[in-house]
Amino acid sequence: MAVARPTCVRPYAGSAHSYLRTVKFAEITHLVRLEVALDLRQRATWAGMLLYVVSAVYVCFLAVKSGLGTATWNALFWIILLFAAFNALARSFQREDGGRQLYLYTLVDPRSVILARAFYNAVTMVVLSLLSLAVYLLLLGSSNLDNADMGQFLFAVVLGGIGFASVLTLISAIAARAGNGIGLMAILGFPLVLPLLLLVMRASKLALDGVAWSVISTYFGGIVLLDLITITLAWILFPYLWRD
Amino acid sequence: MKYWWKFLGIGLLLFASIAALRTPLSPALVHVSPDRVAPGPAVVEVLGYNTNFQKGSTVGYLENAGQRVCGSAEVIDATHLRLTLEVPAGMKDHLTTVGIDQLRYDGALFTEGLGSGIESGACGPGVNKIDLSGVAFTFPNRSILYESIRNLHFHVPMWFAMIFLMGISVVYSIRTLGSNSLEHDRASVSAAQVGLVFCALGLITGAVWARATWGAFWTNDVKLNGAAVTGLIYLAYLVLRGSVQDAHKRARLAGIYNIFAFVLLVLFLFVVPRLNAIDSLHPGNGGNGGFSDLDLDNRLRAIFYPAVLGWILLGVWMFTLKNRASKLNDQLDR
Amino acid sequence: MKYFTSLALLLFTLQAKAQNAAPSWLEESLYGNGKINTVVIVVAIIYLGIGLWMFSMDRKLSRMEKKLKP
Repeated sequence: MAVARPTCVRPYAGSAHSYLRTVKFAEITHLVRLEVALDLRQRATWAGMLLYVVSAVYVCFLAVKSGLGTATWNALFWIILLFAAFNALARSFQREDGGRQLYLYTLVDPRSVILARAFYNAVTMVVLSLLSLAVYLLLLGSSNLDNADMGQFLFAVVLGGIGFASVLTLISAIAARAGNGIGLMAILGFPLVLPLLLLVMRASKLALDGVAWSVISTYFGGIVLLDLITITLAWILFPYLWRD
Repeated sequence: MKYWWKFLGIGLLLFASIAALRTPLSPALVHVSPDRVAPGPAVVEVLGYNTNFQKGSTVGYLENAGQRVCGSAEVIDATHLRLTLEVPAGMKDHLTTVGIDQLRYDGALFTEGLGSGIESGACGPGVNKIDLSGVAFTFPNRSILYESIRNLHFHVPMWFAMIFLMGISVVYSIRTLGSNSLEHDRASVSAAQVGLVFCALGLITGAVWARATWGAFWTNDVKLNGAAVTGLIYLAYLVLRGSVQDAHKRARLAGIYNIFAFVLLVLFLFVVPRLNAIDSLHPGNGGNGGFSDLDLDNRLRAIFYPAVLGWILLGVWMFTLKNRASKLNDQLDR
Repeated sequence: MKYFTSLALLLFTLQAKAQNAAPSWLEESLYGNGKINTVVIVVAIIYLGIGLWMFSMDRKLSRMEKKLKP
């Protein structure tokens, strides 16, 4: 096992000073590498996620053909991405059945686990968002991008993907611990994703209309703030989730 | 006196409810007929609400872009006036205001024969035919709202009580994580359940009021979305609790979700609307003036704040009852 | 009484201004008498809601009493 630093085996004990512990970058890097290795071994999961997106976009294509207005085009894209995010992130803690969780628990700080997982999920979501966008453009046409500021739009897509990952990582952990997979995750996650979804949809709509940076930067700031708050909360709360 | 706050709550609710229902609306002009004005001689029938016009005649005027046309107003009865005047051509704005003494009806008439403005007449104060005595304490009389402005003291406190109860719930959730105690967990879920009662009441009353003022039971409005999301979050919280068997694990998972959800909820309710600048039909949002811009808003506040406090106290009382009952229930089950 | 006639008139004129079609029963009941009925409905809903909550609490207590007896 590549996970190093067995010196920090002390499990979280709930004492006040543990809040002051710093982020352990070495541990996180190792955990992310572990994730990558595991995912490379199970390529079927990635194929599954991609297939999900392609199917969803294709269904939309069959339902609406083309000629959508910009607002609808934008909304449809984000709805597809939202469902793709739920599908992709629900499995992020499903692997942790009994043995493996106990093993990780004794080896590393739970906070490193959540940060590594959030980071890995964010990367996953960014890749997935961009791929979805490509498929979406291919099937539903790109005429709505005529007036768009592509830089802003891509930035909105990337930020949205990271945002989904940061909100849904902890939710996925809760749902997995409750022993009730994707169904519970959808119920728990939907109302919490809404603030982010509203901001990001508005931002990408503005980007499609090609507004100035000064207008749209407020939204980007809001999204980044939301991401930071959710990650911080996950960082604070996750150790309690691990305790048994 | 151990129960003082309960008596305080009841007293406040009693005061606020009676005052909210008994305070009259201020006198106002609410309707004019015909609803458009064209150059030439015009007779406008004016309908007052809660007015007590005294028999005789007084001064009335039309006002367009700050320029006035004076006329004479004949009182028919306590709530009816007939305003006779000679309308010149060339008024500037589309909407013309009707005024009788101190009372005004902004934008009452649709103007025909627009031009570049008229010579403003000087309408001196007429013989005061509007009896405003005996209406010292009144609610603002606003068009569209009319009497339903009283709902401010019933519908809005539901949301205050709900947010307060959800706040109690999240405080107990934090304590649950710290202490791992099932007592705190029970308090947390009791508060959330009572909060959901207030959420449901707020939603239903809001739908009725929305139908009466905006013409639809549900509109795409930030405040409505916020309320709906709050309901969904706490229903999800209850579902999460229902799907975990082990009591301590349930307490922890529910506590974590509660804290996470509450922070996001606060962001959704108070930060996102400001950022998003979404137009809201509710007062105080998106260019829509709050109730505070109403004249003499202190009249509303004097009753609104006691109502809010009263409902919060009632909510807390309901929470303690619920909590004690489920505690007893748990002990009986054991 | 003098309010009442004016209120009735107000209702009529408001309706006439709002739309030309005949008002539905719902609009009639909501907009009537300067929209006071809206307030009546709202207050009734709140009282009903709190009453239902009391009723459910009552039943909960009865269930516990039953459990306590044997």
